[in-house]
Amino acid sequence: MSFHLPKMIATLVAAHLLLVATAAPAHKLRLRGEAVAVAGSTVTVTPSRDWNTLSRKVGKNTETWTVDGEQLNDVTFFAGIPAGMPLVRERSKKRDPLPKFTKTTLLVEIPELLEGTYRTYKNSGSFRLLSSEPGRFLGKDGVSFAYEFIDVDELTRRGEALAAIIDDKLYMITFEAPRLNYFDAMASDFRALASSAVLR
Amino acid sequence: MKSSAALLLLMLGVTCGRGDAQTTPLPPPYAGAYQPQGVDEIGLWREDDESERQLAVSNLVVRDEKLTAYVKQVLCDTVGEDRCKSVRVYIVREPTFNATMSPNGTMRVFSGLFLRVHSEAELAAVLGHEFGHFEQRHSLADFKSLRSGTDVLAWTAVLVNLAASYNTRRVYRDVELSVYGHLYRYNRDQEREADRLGIAYLNKSRLRPQAASLVWQNIMAEVEVSARHRGLKKPNFNVIAFTATHPPHGERANYLSVLALPEGADRDSGADRYRAMLAPWIPLFLEDQVRLNDFGGSEYLIEALAQAGWTAGLWFARGELYRNRGNQRDLVQAADFYARAIEIESGMADAHRGLGLSLMKTGRPSDGQKALQAYLDLKPGASDANMIRMMLPKEVTGP
Amino acid sequence: MIWLAIVASVSAAVTAPAAAQERSAVKQGFELAAKSNKKILLFRPAVRVGAQSTGGLFEPNAEWTEQAKANIEAALHQFQESLGNEVVAAPEAYGDDARNLHEHMALFAAVSQSVIEYQFFVGNRLPTKKRDNKTQVFDWSLGKGVAGLPGAADADYGLFIYNRDAYGSTGRKVLQVFAAMGGVSVTSGEHVGYAGLVDLKTGELLWLNADAAMGGDVREKDGSEKRVRQLLEDFPGSDIPKAVAE
Repeated sequence: MSFHLPKMIATLVAAHLLLVATAAPAHKLRLRGEAVAVAGSTVTVTPSRDWNTLSRKVGKNTETWTVDGEQLNDVTFFAGIPAGMPLVRERSKKRDPLPKFTKTTLLVEIPELLEGTYRTYKNSGSFRLLSSEPGRFLGKDGVSFAYEFIDVDELTRRGEALAAIIDDKLYMITFEAPRLNYFDAMASDFRALASSAVLR
Repeated sequence: MKSSAALLLLMLGVTCGRGDAQTTPLPPPYAGAYQPQGVDEIGLWREDDESERQLAVSNLVVRDEKLTAYVKQVLCDTVGEDRCKSVRVYIVREPTFNATMSPNGTMRVFSGLFLRVHSEAELAAVLGHEFGHFEQRHSLADFKSLRSGTDVLAWTAVLVNLAASYNTRRVYRDVELSVYGHLYRYNRDQEREADRLGIAYLNKSRLRPQAASLVWQNIMAEVEVSARHRGLKKPNFNVIAFTATHPPHGERANYLSVLALPEGADRDSGADRYRAMLAPWIPLFLEDQVRLNDFGGSEYLIEALAQAGWTAGLWFARGELYRNRGNQRDLVQAADFYARAIEIESGMADAHRGLGLSLMKTGRPSDGQKALQAYLDLKPGASDANMIRMMLPKEVTGP
Repeated sequence: MIWLAIVASVSAAVTAPAAAQERSAVKQGFELAAKSNKKILLFRPAVRVGAQSTGGLFEPNAEWTEQAKANIEAALHQFQESLGNEVVAAPEAYGDDARNLHEHMALFAAVSQSVIEYQFFVGNRLPTKKRDNKTQVFDWSLGKGVAGLPGAADADYGLFIYNRDAYGSTGRKVLQVFAAMGGVSVTSGEHVGYAGLVDLKTGELLWLNADAAMGGDVREKDGSEKRVRQLLEDFPGSDIPKAVAE
């Protein structure tokens, strides 16, 4: 899941200052066939190909994997978002609050929650839900859905996600990539990764 | 004439102050096909041409010839056919109250604007204001002052980095030339000048100039409601891009109403034409707003739109707003709003969906299932039909 | 011949250390023999020249930009001719074609940024890309969609060029010192360029050169030639001697 700075600041940072963080913690290698727990949780996945875990997180209880960089393929795990919490870190709890996952959120409303999070965070109207279907995630009944959005870099990205609510917590895995080439190229690896997920 | 204008001001709660208000200035003479001059301006135009090339092919642009032509026509009616020839209008799908005009004549109108003006005259007030910046070539002066302006921002950016923000690097590329255009921030005197020009155009047009003041009063009210619902003590008017560096809104609403030609108060505001033209788009733009998690602001806008009469679409939007916030009391109210939408338009499938989900969550599953079944009957191919079907008892498969 | 050219040339320009690097890479197995008469489609080069104030505000200068663009295009034609390749400008596109091209250009930018951030430069490399570097793998693609771009049917390769220059001011150099204390680097005067060659049948990125600190004043004819040389010195089949410093 890709989130960046507000447009104005982003513009300034990107265009006017080449900011290079010096001591960023390293990204980790995830090897094909090796089971690994994600986002400090008991959710365990066994990848069908090699991936990288990014050192940066979009929020508490999350972890992001990529093959070519998050702008080209981004798999984000949301491993147990408790009721009352947003999906990703808020810029400001007071001034820019994000929609929250709640005790009454229904499975069928999870796509709307992701949609609201994106629209609010990016202040955008370009997010479109394409479909949502019953699906299985972590051995439980869940929801599988697809979406599309245009980001400030003018690329249209497609997204696919699987989610389930277990013990009042939200578990979800999302995959996003440009609709040109990158989505189709990695979709089957994402699906394999999602279906390998188990709660230990 | 005079007394009706004074009465209007009184009704608006605007104090005219003393009787020494400036007389309305006349618009400057039309300058003809302008060509940029000097290093800064020529450079700016070139960048701007490049930016417009990208805008023209952007997927974020609402490609509706009719709507675009309408906005252009309102601009032309306001500033005159001669002046408006130099302008290309693009409607950008972004739910913010903003409109910008760049040096080469590119006018960007953001979709959020259409929810916040309610007549041709109000739209004209905003467009005329932006055109005023353009005609005075404020962006050039502004660019020159920005040189020192961003110097301050550069320091800020460095300080932000010291605080180790997690996603400072999550910037995909040079977005400076993005379809959103450059960051123009005018100073207050420039804003006042553009205001005066804007109102002068309106005064000369066929539209009611008093609308300009209304626009500002409405923004102030929206921002205040939005802040209150977030539990903020002080509303932050800078959250609205269009108003970020503008003169204090109270002052502005005041002088705009004073400068408006009193005789103009009898003119048509074009509210009916505006509503008719925007009708196909309001539901989409309203949905964009309602999904922004700005409860107070959205509620304010819905109620403002409802002053012309509650429609099924408005009740539905309100239902979505309350269901998304999701407190138990919200859900009960949401169910009521959806029901009102259905009363007006029984075939509105999504209202049945919202009603069903709200009832399910407030301990009324059997009523909820009935509503969900109605949703499926109306929209069997809905994108979430199979998810909804799972929420129905197995034996109830048809009507 | 299988090779992965990695050139790390240190520029003499005043820049922060992390940015003073240039790298290029070629897809494994790709070779462009001299005089092979390939047709290269040039996508509208993004060339912008201006000055830079303390805040880093890019101050566009149209004259410099036009000059630089003309110089670079001329140098490019001359250079490719000497390699035996023909460079043709991509035709102007309209409507859906234009939108498709726009999205592909955006994808090229995203891919280039990924290569630069995650494979080329030390500090933020992805582990899998680090491993690719060791085994000389350079595997990136824009996808088969490029075959449908305007003009693609009549050409072999697509060449994308991005070039941006800003000449720094003193205030900016002071800011640099403070920024360094905060662990960030602020380049004083940006001279960024990247060029990429894409197979117009498969969409594969055959070659990419990225330089965050380039030499040569593109406002001058000589400087432009130097810039093109730098951007293209590792171009497959090139026999340009590598420049080390300014």
